[in-house]
Amino acid sequence: MLRSRALTLAIALVATAGSAVAIHAQMRASVAAAVTYLFPEQITVVADKPTPVDLHFKVAPGMHVNSHTPRGEEFIATTLNVPETSGVRLVHATFPPGTDFSFPIDPKEKLSVYTGEFTIHAELSAPRGEHLVEATLRYQACNTNVCMPPHSIPVAIDVIAK
Amino acid sequence: MKRNVIVLSIVVLVLGLLSLAGWANWQNRKQAAERALAQQTQAVLVPDGAGTPQMTSPLVGKPAPAFTLTNLKGEKVSLASYKGKAVQLNFWATWCAPCKIETPWLVDLEKKYGPQGFEILGVSFDDLDKGDKALLAKEKADIAKSVDQLHIPYPVLLDGDSIAKPYGDNDVYPTSYFVDRSGTVVAATFGLTSKDDLESNIKKAIGGGK
Repeated sequence: MLRSRALTLAIALVATAGSAVAIHAQMRASVAAAVTYLFPEQITVVADKPTPVDLHFKVAPGMHVNSHTPRGEEFIATTLNVPETSGVRLVHATFPPGTDFSFPIDPKEKLSVYTGEFTIHAELSAPRGEHLVEATLRYQACNTNVCMPPHSIPVAIDVIAK
Repeated sequence: MKRNVIVLSIVVLVLGLLSLAGWANWQNRKQAAERALAQQTQAVLVPDGAGTPQMTSPLVGKPAPAFTLTNLKGEKVSLASYKGKAVQLNFWATWCAPCKIETPWLVDLEKKYGPQGFEILGVSFDDLDKGDKALLAKEKADIAKSVDQLHIPYPVLLDGDSIAKPYGDNDVYPTSYFVDRSGTVVAATFGLTSKDDLESNIKKAIGGGK
């Protein structure tokens, strides 16, 4: 009887510890991947001519990132960077406007954020040839009660300029 | 003679390689130990009584990791110098909106419990570009500006990232550790909680370690 109780207790303890570890791992994963780059992976542009390209991103459910124009200079804007070394030039980028977000405890304070899917309308220019662009999207993410440090994700695009 | 030179060169080369291997091994072991320490102190989510996942810290019940950081005036501040006092370590950043929400609560609570030997140390986790003097000065000025705008009366220490590892590398803000008079962590909160929750943890810190 005693042995059976001890066994049940041990199983319960292992299950609790297991679920805690699983929840923790899940949270760490969501922190790391607050934003994911969706597409395109490959584009074809006219050589040496600015070509519009829509870059699609997704913010993880329950999270938000500051828009490109946050309210308040202390907030970190979402930005796109194309390294000069790639040979491809980011001529222009139009970011979508943010939507209003308030923390439930402070409904008066409005933040300008992206949630769900958002698209950056970029214009890229590339010399003739194939270029692998390792662009980066920098953002700062929060959920309804915690914020994570600024983070950058790779935006890899194969640019074929003809 | 020539043979001796060759033998000597080989011996030097072998000794050099052995030293390099030893150094690499020491580095690996050091990094593994740091990773293990970070994992041991990293917060975990556990279900509370109602089944809602709550983050908790393995540091609770253990001595608060020692540190020395500089404040906005450039003076060094050690946690050790606060022994005998109840301390709340508040990890925050200027870009953290929930941190701004809880700051007025912290200011009120320090005012209320200060006479009982309670103090708050704000620790800023804003990035500091130490290699670029002009940028570093701007970053420090930005933190000072936020401290002014939020009317923070307690010391704000810079470069929180340098003490992130011993405190679990949790990367969520705001985070608070409540340290009793003997230097033991008695509670930790992750994210925006409530003023009542903070007050209850402050009382634990004031009441403990006498």
